[in-house]
Amino acid sequence: MTVSTLHDAPAATTGAVVPLLSVRNLRREFGGVVAVDDASFDVLPGTITSLIGPNGAGKSTAVGIIGGGIRPTKGTVQFAGEDLTGLPPYARAERGLIRTFQLSSQFSKLTVLENLLAAAPHQRGEQFRVLVFGKRLWREEQDRLLERAYELLVRFSMFEMRDEYAGNLSGGQKRLVEIMRALMANPKMVLLDEPMAGVNPTLARAIEGYLLDLAAEGVTLLLVEHELDVVERLSDNVVVMAQGRTIATGSMTELRENEEVVRAYLEG
Amino acid sequence: MSHAFQFYATTLLVYLGVDVLSVWSLNLQYGMTGIYNFAWILFQSIGAYTAAVLTLGPSTANTGFQHFILGTSIPFPLPLLIAGAVAGVFSIPIGFVALRRLRADYEATVMLVISVVATLIVSNVQGMFNGTAGLSLIPEPLYTFLHVSTLSYSWLYVLFTAVVCGIVYIFVHRVTSSPLGRAMRAVRDNEAAAESLGKHVTSVRMFAFIFGNVIAGMSGALLVQFIGAWSPGAWFFVETLIILTAIIVGGTGNNGGVILGALLVPIVFNEATRYIPTSFAPAAIVDSVQWCVIGGLALAFLWFRPQGILPERRRRFPVPPEYAAMAAAGRYPPHDERGATGTPPVAVLASETES
Repeated sequence: MTVSTLHDAPAATTGAVVPLLSVRNLRREFGGVVAVDDASFDVLPGTITSLIGPNGAGKSTAVGIIGGGIRPTKGTVQFAGEDLTGLPPYARAERGLIRTFQLSSQFSKLTVLENLLAAAPHQRGEQFRVLVFGKRLWREEQDRLLERAYELLVRFSMFEMRDEYAGNLSGGQKRLVEIMRALMANPKMVLLDEPMAGVNPTLARAIEGYLLDLAAEGVTLLLVEHELDVVERLSDNVVVMAQGRTIATGSMTELRENEEVVRAYLEG
Repeated sequence: MSHAFQFYATTLLVYLGVDVLSVWSLNLQYGMTGIYNFAWILFQSIGAYTAAVLTLGPSTANTGFQHFILGTSIPFPLPLLIAGAVAGVFSIPIGFVALRRLRADYEATVMLVISVVATLIVSNVQGMFNGTAGLSLIPEPLYTFLHVSTLSYSWLYVLFTAVVCGIVYIFVHRVTSSPLGRAMRAVRDNEAAAESLGKHVTSVRMFAFIFGNVIAGMSGALLVQFIGAWSPGAWFFVETLIILTAIIVGGTGNNGGVILGALLVPIVFNEATRYIPTSFAPAAIVDSVQWCVIGGLALAFLWFRPQGILPERRRRFPVPPEYAAMAAAGRYPPHDERGATGTPPVAVLASETES
């Protein structure tokens, strides 16, 4: 498959490339608990980077901080050369940084197609001016969005489900809706928090394929994932977190030779 | 039709119109956007009081038996429009307190408290809107100008109410059928996801809150100018529950369904209790029976048919035939860079079910 050759190309990991996402010295406390202590890592454009670590390592908190839902106590998040620290989630989405959630977060009483349509940011038809202008304001834009949504539905084999309420889908299908929704925004980067959790093996492999395709098309992915086989198959680069800190980065092969990583995670 | 029956009918029709505006208003907030506006009746009241003091003239009129602020007489239909605007303006500070970053249950509590506090303030500050006695002798718009019989006037008011409903519907429909309406429903279903997809959740919620409350204010103005009186007894916080029940019964999130709810709950069920024979139940009990009926209806629907009689409409969109064909053939869209012959990396049947 052409996709995997593209994916295996080492260009993105040479270090000469300017990182798309740059996280520095993140810290976040919840009461007395330090969820993220001192996390720093880079994500290079066009790559798949995985964030791994034992439960409670602070991975989801880190993704939450990058997505803007959680404010860091300390540290900075740079995205495409801009400091995003302190910006709310919608402003990050508008800049092309979209996140998905660990628990399915579909709009249950919207159809699958509507879930996709609703996911595009910056819509003219969402401005309060619709009160005055009505349909004239948004008809053309909606037609464009519909075309994009149908493309994604066909591509993710969800076309037949377009008019189903998202709340009635299976867990795996909800995952697909979430990924398609992220893509409706034409993102530069997608944060995926355990996209294969609770999904049957067949569909999980399909999702892997979709993610590789996306990376090949230039979408940068940051993935939180527990299955190390999946991480190995997908990732250009792996960031290991333990007890709130980033303890190592590198390829899976490199990490297997790192004793600290093996102690903290791979054996544990 | 006898005159008495016609008066009864016109009164019911005006009430129906007011209730239709009310359910649209609260449906925009609760049904579409998931805002627990338990202070809804306050905004109808703000509209009613505003229209009252803008038409009553100075408070020294009528031997000065009632005391109120801002007494003036401005021409029709300005009081109606200003009533809506004032309700909208009051929504802003209340919205900033209740709608930002509060969980739904706290939001509901804050609203409820605001509603009760407002009733207490208006009841106890005598000079504002004449305290618990309330305002009366509120003039009917254009009555002296039209020179028609009281009955004809009532029918004209029914017509006027219908026109207001029609105009408001145009705006409600523009919003609910638009991408903005879709964003409202997305915010309702999952705030965090909507925000992470670029929706400004607070703005969307504030918009629904203000827009809904403007309609609530206008509904209050429309009602007070017909019945001619308004007092704290008319807007105790439980009145919000009647409108909420109407929405739940009719169909949350469906602008047509809630009209049915407005017809059934405040009109049919409330009126039906009037016909309970007094030999069966003393008149004093009837009022309590009304509340039992309302509460029972809300419970029964939430338990057995939470989507209401006419559920929220499933929105469908036209399908271009080329996509249907591609989906059937298991192909990518042709302008995908891999070309029209590509097949998905792993074929997944759409009928896939969770293992």
